Amino acid sequence: MWAVTGMFQKNSPDAFSSYHPVILFLYFCVVLFFTMFFLHPVLLAISFCSVFLYSVQLNGRKAIRFNIFCMLPVTVIVSLINPLFSHAGVTILFYLNENPVTLESIAFGIVSGGAFITVIIAFSCFNKILTSDKLMYLFGRLIPVLSLMFSMTLRFVPRYKAQIKKIANAQLCIGMDASHGNLLQRVKNGIQILSILITWALENAIETADSMKARGFGLKGRTSFSVFSWKRRDKTLLATEAALLFALLLGLGLGKFESVYFPAIRIAWPEGKSAAFYLAYALFCLLPIIVNRRENIVWNKLKSPD
Amino acid sequence: MEQIKITGLSFSYPNTNGTGLSDMNLSVQKGDFILLFGRSGCGKSTFLKQLKPVIAPFGKRKGSIEFCGRDITSLSHREQSTAIGFVSQNPDNQIVTDKVWHELAFGLESLGCDSKTIRLRVAEMASFFGIQDWFYKPVTELSGGQRQILNLASVMVMQPQVLLLDEPTSQLDPIATANFVQMLRKINEELDVTILISEHHLEEVLPVCSRVLFMDGGRLVLDTKPREIGREMNRINSDMAAALPDCVKIFTAFCSGESPVNVKEAKQWLEATVRPQAEPETKPEQKQPLPDGAPAVTLSDVWFRYDKKERDIVKGVSLQIRQGTVYSIVGGNGVGKSTLLSLIGGVYAPYRGKVKLFGQDLFKIKPEERYRDLFGYLPQEPQNLFRRKTVRLDLEELAARISPDRESAEAQIKNVSEFFHLEPLLARHPFDLSGGEQQCAAMAKVMLTNPRILLLDEPTKGIDSVFKQKLSQWLKALKAQGKTIVLVSHDLDFCADCSDVCALMFNGEIIAENTVRQFFTGNRFYTTPLNRIVRDIFPNCLTYEEVIPLCRENLIRG
Repeated sequence: MWAVTGMFQKNSPDAFSSYHPVILFLYFCVVLFFTMFFLHPVLLAISFCSVFLYSVQLNGRKAIRFNIFCMLPVTVIVSLINPLFSHAGVTILFYLNENPVTLESIAFGIVSGGAFITVIIAFSCFNKILTSDKLMYLFGRLIPVLSLMFSMTLRFVPRYKAQIKKIANAQLCIGMDASHGNLLQRVKNGIQILSILITWALENAIETADSMKARGFGLKGRTSFSVFSWKRRDKTLLATEAALLFALLLGLGLGKFESVYFPAIRIAWPEGKSAAFYLAYALFCLLPIIVNRRENIVWNKLKSPD
Repeated sequence: MEQIKITGLSFSYPNTNGTGLSDMNLSVQKGDFILLFGRSGCGKSTFLKQLKPVIAPFGKRKGSIEFCGRDITSLSHREQSTAIGFVSQNPDNQIVTDKVWHELAFGLESLGCDSKTIRLRVAEMASFFGIQDWFYKPVTELSGGQRQILNLASVMVMQPQVLLLDEPTSQLDPIATANFVQMLRKINEELDVTILISEHHLEEVLPVCSRVLFMDGGRLVLDTKPREIGREMNRINSDMAAALPDCVKIFTAFCSGESPVNVKEAKQWLEATVRPQAEPETKPEQKQPLPDGAPAVTLSDVWFRYDKKERDIVKGVSLQIRQGTVYSIVGGNGVGKSTLLSLIGGVYAPYRGKVKLFGQDLFKIKPEERYRDLFGYLPQEPQNLFRRKTVRLDLEELAARISPDRESAEAQIKNVSEFFHLEPLLARHPFDLSGGEQQCAAMAKVMLTNPRILLLDEPTKGIDSVFKQKLSQWLKALKAQGKTIVLVSHDLDFCADCSDVCALMFNGEIIAENTVRQFFTGNRFYTTPLNRIVRDIFPNCLTYEEVIPLCRENLIRG
């Protein structure tokens, strides 16, 4: 029975990514939402630090190098370009070629550059842990036939690619492939190879269709199976996410995350009790790191029992 | 318990192309393991598909098929899907999704099972077949044999009572075939699932089945036990007796009782019946000189890999193939046989070493000359060669490009179609032909270019024994014309029958190379089934034709 339960657990890059895809997806949605739409310096700093840390956890040293050498220059450029082209804002610092450079647009440039890099790093983590089968599962829930189509496409594209290679090789050996003869002949042969592929594909599709029909395809009430299931730990983590998200939305409603740059900068800084909302956001963003850290501690304890 | 009852079943296709069925009567008991054989195009597939109406071909049907007392056409799609499983020939065409787990779940998803049920049934089947390690793999990472097992498993998750298999092993190598048949035996014995399987190669299935049916021209000719099939085939005097395994054939040449069905039994019987040959004429150890003559193909220290980062597929192979000989390369799956052949064919270039044809560097020969008058290459899937709507148009196109004028092109086509008996097929679409017929048409096409060297990749894959004999005769005739033939095959019988020199490839290297007789008599496992039966008595025999007269001379009692 051990083998059977083990069979459903795929190798994951870290502890967090072994949770249910819905939890992972929700995490990224919230982080991206708060990063992209609020451009609040404190929120931004929190999300940047968290995704940076997480990307290092996921990809190791390579991530540090990449983040510094590729992402930093991009951010600097984005931050600098904005004040050069946008002259909105009321606090004029100086004139450059008779154009006003304002404090507001410099500030906006810096936060949008920060948001840009944060989103990019977040997507690099997203790619690593939300693999194609997890995405397929998530969207398959919404539109079941889409997940099957997606899966069939992933099956047929590599297959056709391999087949076209085989056909080209076979044609090469009777001197009729796309690398022989003058231009016209080559084009003709190339088209012919495609035509052979299509004939082949149609011919073989009959057997595929039979195989689908023979296994009941087309019956009413098709379900969509997935290898993911809700365990207790998934439910706990989802509840945590939900509670934190509730706090964040409450803060949002109370205007605690307000940030306006034009015409004048107006930012709601964390003071007094409102700091709790920022703490909630920090906790939310650090969830993957906390989960991974906890897992490490548990394993270390198991390894060296006092 | 009677599970399927067929009375007076006839079937005809709307066009006259395919053979129909006429007046078939059969009663299948629960738990039967039925082997169905006959030449290709005798109606085996048509018959099997009648037992699963959702995929049955269109046409006129008479007579009745009852499944557990009900008319089979009254079964709903849902009932058919669960009760009757179907596995067909090509492992790739049946796989629908990209991941193993999804493929296993596909049928249950169609039935609308909930995740919990699917999880359990899929887990059960994966454990039963021992395939849990592949569970997360994309199907492209599986070998042909593994894919066919996956197809079988994804039908079995629906818990069918009857399993129909249409030549399921014709695309598999011998090891994968043996594995697959063992799976079937397990399903039949441990789950009491009724099995009907059609096959060309009987060696593996005959020992495990409980009944054998022989079909000819859409009729059910024989319905007998596996141990009696040899005698019965002799009685009706059919040329398809050649398709029987050697252990049956050799027995029925002398006795008419219950025949052995495997090597061990045949050996025991033979040892009791025949005196061993006192002095073998030539000892196996004796090294016979390889045939001499001008070298047609020379490989010197050839290395190849598909990509710089991948492993070597061919590792330092050196060999010489003499003009006018048949050279066979044998070996397991994925040892680099086909790759080696395509290196000789100039499809790929080695990264180290040289390939020479008639003393000339292959890649210094202009491509135009290379593929005209020099060599022809028959790929593993002959379908890939065809370009036109009919076989005739296909040949004409190539002939027009090669021959200087219309008349000589016509003459060429006439020549090859006579040689390969193609006339009745010329007007048909190449994709409508059977496996053997496709092989003929492809051979004809390749021979049009008048090659001096012929390269064949698995020429016997998916063809029946009658075609195999024809093919072997053709190769011998071509050899007599001075052609050099290099072939890669899993079919040891075929290699033993038609080649002069055999080479064993293992792990990208040529491990052994010898004249065919020395090669096979020297190997203990990697030899023809017949040699395994008779090796202690007549150590030098490789084929059925050689053994029979020897047995006759040495019978213990006349």
